[in-house]
Amino acid sequence: MAVSVIDTNSNQLTFRQRWNHYLVIITALLGLFAAANLRDNALYAVTPYINTTAGISALYPRNWLIDTTGDYIFRVQNASRVGFKTTIQVAVQAISSNTTTRNLVDALTLNRSQLLAAYRPLPADNAFTLPDGTQATSVNYTYAAINADPFLDTTPIVVRGVDILSIKRGQAVIITFLADSNSYEEDYRIFERFLNTLEF
Amino acid sequence: MKIHTRHLIFYSILLLTILVNSAPVAAQATFIDLDRLERATVYIMQTDNVGTDLLVTCVSSGTIVSRDGLILTNAHSIVPGKTCKGQTLIIAMTSQVGEAPVPQYRAEIAQSDIGIDLALLRITRELDGRLVDTQSLRLPFVELADSSTAKLDETVTVVGYPGIGNDPVTSVRGTITGFVFEPSSIGSGSAWLKSSALIPGTMSGGGVYNQQSQLVAIPTTAPVTSSNGVSTNCLAIQDTNRDKVVNENDYCVPTGVFINAMRPSNFARPLLRGASLGLSLATISTPITASQASGVPTFKRLFFAGSVNPAGMPSSVISSLPAGSNNLYLFFDYENMTPETVYELRVTTDNVPNATFSLSPVRWSGGERGMWYIGSGGQPWPNGVYEFTLFANGVAAPSQKLTIGAAPSTDPVFSDITFGLLDSRGQPQGNGFVLPAGNIATARFIYRNLEDGLNWIAIWYLNGREVKRVENTWNAGASGASVNTSIEVAEGLLPGSYRLELYIKDRLQATSDFIIAGSQQGALPQIFTKLRFTAANSDADAITNTSISNFPQNLNALYALFNWEQIAPGTLWTLRWLVDGVSFYDQTLPWNNAQSGENFLMRLTASAGLPDGTYSVELRVNNVLLQKAQAQVGIGQLPIDRFARASGVQLRGHILNADTRQGISGVTVIIISEQFSVADFTWNQDQIFDLAVTDSDGTFEISRPLEYSTTDKPVEYSAIISANGFLPLTADGVEVNINTPNPLELTIYLNKD
Repeated sequence: MAVSVIDTNSNQLTFRQRWNHYLVIITALLGLFAAANLRDNALYAVTPYINTTAGISALYPRNWLIDTTGDYIFRVQNASRVGFKTTIQVAVQAISSNTTTRNLVDALTLNRSQLLAAYRPLPADNAFTLPDGTQATSVNYTYAAINADPFLDTTPIVVRGVDILSIKRGQAVIITFLADSNSYEEDYRIFERFLNTLEF
Repeated sequence: MKIHTRHLIFYSILLLTILVNSAPVAAQATFIDLDRLERATVYIMQTDNVGTDLLVTCVSSGTIVSRDGLILTNAHSIVPGKTCKGQTLIIAMTSQVGEAPVPQYRAEIAQSDIGIDLALLRITRELDGRLVDTQSLRLPFVELADSSTAKLDETVTVVGYPGIGNDPVTSVRGTITGFVFEPSSIGSGSAWLKSSALIPGTMSGGGVYNQQSQLVAIPTTAPVTSSNGVSTNCLAIQDTNRDKVVNENDYCVPTGVFINAMRPSNFARPLLRGASLGLSLATISTPITASQASGVPTFKRLFFAGSVNPAGMPSSVISSLPAGSNNLYLFFDYENMTPETVYELRVTTDNVPNATFSLSPVRWSGGERGMWYIGSGGQPWPNGVYEFTLFANGVAAPSQKLTIGAAPSTDPVFSDITFGLLDSRGQPQGNGFVLPAGNIATARFIYRNLEDGLNWIAIWYLNGREVKRVENTWNAGASGASVNTSIEVAEGLLPGSYRLELYIKDRLQATSDFIIAGSQQGALPQIFTKLRFTAANSDADAITNTSISNFPQNLNALYALFNWEQIAPGTLWTLRWLVDGVSFYDQTLPWNNAQSGENFLMRLTASAGLPDGTYSVELRVNNVLLQKAQAQVGIGQLPIDRFARASGVQLRGHILNADTRQGISGVTVIIISEQFSVADFTWNQDQIFDLAVTDSDGTFEISRPLEYSTTDKPVEYSAIISANGFLPLTADGVEVNINTPNPLELTIYLNKD
């Protein structure tokens, strides 16, 4: 009696199985891509700000709180950040033809030292080039942020800030970035993206 | 699904806790929000720099009346003077109810009136000297009530600091027991409110609140100061002579006596309006300054009247009152008074001190010399023999007695003197108490119980000096209202302050003062003319520039000018500035310029440019409006202050990590304005009602009270709590009403993202 052995190679995938694997991998890759895209959209989504009167436009992070009621053109704050609210502010100041950036730096330093607790200017390279090639001056500093509400118990937060000053068309533009010193480097990337979109 | 469940929990917390809308609600709360009132009450220390130390020179209570740090208090304890010589003002606050106040800020005087004894301070610096960004302040504050609506027996709550330094803020309840009237309150209710509450002297400057938690008055007493400038009621609290012992040899901080007088809040409105808008008025031609009398303050010619006329003159002179009388006015002449003079009225009934009708020591607000009255109304005077004694700086003046409960008098009476110029029919014309310069002035008065043949005397005075005495025999019958008596001078009556006294049988029956000033314009005086406004780059230009009544926005300075004629130096006149119908400057002072002249110049400025509004100037003499002019700046209306309202529900609470049950610090709680929902919110500050950030324990407090929602005016807020690393929480349709607990405490849990 002859015995016929019918053997199937279990390692051998069928055409259908093979393509099923390919499709799973492609779907997974597409999912990863979409997730990364969604993450980027969430992280880097922006809202346009245009002020035709002041001649300033920029893209600032979406869901940051914008305020145009103070003595600045606008100020955006990351209200969702726990602790000190990372802040970007753009202000414009009319100047005379004799005013130099050095004068502006002095005035800013004097003003901040009267307003901010434990204000300390940081030694830094003052030369700064904005993304559009405009030459500017930067001033780095730290201070202690204290909640203004006298009825709450708060611990001061060490804040690191930078003022970027540029004189253009007879006015000084002062761009300020403030962040908790612990997250300064991380948040500075947001500020850089903001600077890339800032036009004045 | 999980997120929806958490949202549902949050909605449930908010809706169950906040929404209590089952019944229609009243439009206004009628319970006292004591927590907010105590938080808004501050302790003020006037200090002097001695070397490196701060020497406390005076203390008082005060009340925050605006979110950005305006504080209402008494002037005597903060404006540098004889008693309180310090230069620096320290503001201490109760950060924890029940604990002593903690110094937090430094302040400067924004507005003050030392006679009225009210001042407004503005917080300007942190305690360490750093400047304060007032726009970032979100302090609890109170609203001012219309004090003219205060009622007898109305329940009031007095809030202030009862001790020097180490006592927590305290509240005392009582009722309004009476009203005191003075010439300074003509047309605006009473000059003082009286209360049954027992109020320590250091609570002077604090707040008296009605049942709507609105500030109805400021408890006020001024420490009596001896001639050498040392307060007679004081307490040594610091070792100022460095002998290691705090005793009577050290500087003595004035404490005052127990308070029974409360200055109505309507007196603070001009100061508050001026301070909140940053307005500053300068009189360029002649600086308006308070009198600086050097003589001893004196009271004399005390007499009583049952009523006063609109010019503040007595209707008649009385020596007794029938039983059940409610109103009584003590009139007197005064000399050498200054705004720093402290006066006091002590009343006895049948030789027993009567605190109800006495007036505790307070500052003088009536100028250097003239006629004044202290009137009491609102409650019946019990029968008895009353003795009234006035004190100036603690020194008693002659007293005067009056019997209440006597039988109705049938004695002859003269009353209700008015002055004018006679027309062709012999009828007096004019406004009654301010006459133009001319040859003749006539008085008309009412009489009753007279008999023909009775001798009576009319005596005319000019600036306190007798100028004419007329002795007559009565022949006009028993009663009537048409008897005239005149003073006539061929060369013309000099401008000045005149007085007429009418006597029967050597007893003063009626008296009244009037002013002669200005040229004759019909029967009316033309004292002030060409009141006008202009704008200019300098004071000199303002005089020559043309007058304007409409000005552009962002005006730096608004000038007002007027000419004047025949007004004698020393004549009391009133200058009042208003914006949008509310006074922000109101001063009555002696005229200290030439008798006639042109271009009396005033300059109105504001720290951040004049706000849009309709500005008016009024010029008065003897409460008679003589000139008024009006000008518009910008759109002619003040900008709306979104933060002016203090009534409503205070929202506060804790934000906790749902996993650890620990507070999360630095979380932002956003309450969105009622016009927007969460879906409409575009993260714009303009859409926000108010926001708060949690402290190190996760505690937050929305400083702006939530407005009550009513059936007529529903108010729905939305809320967002967003924190990186946690799931955000949102809610729409948040309402509070009269039944909502106040303050409203919430505990909110955030789940990790």
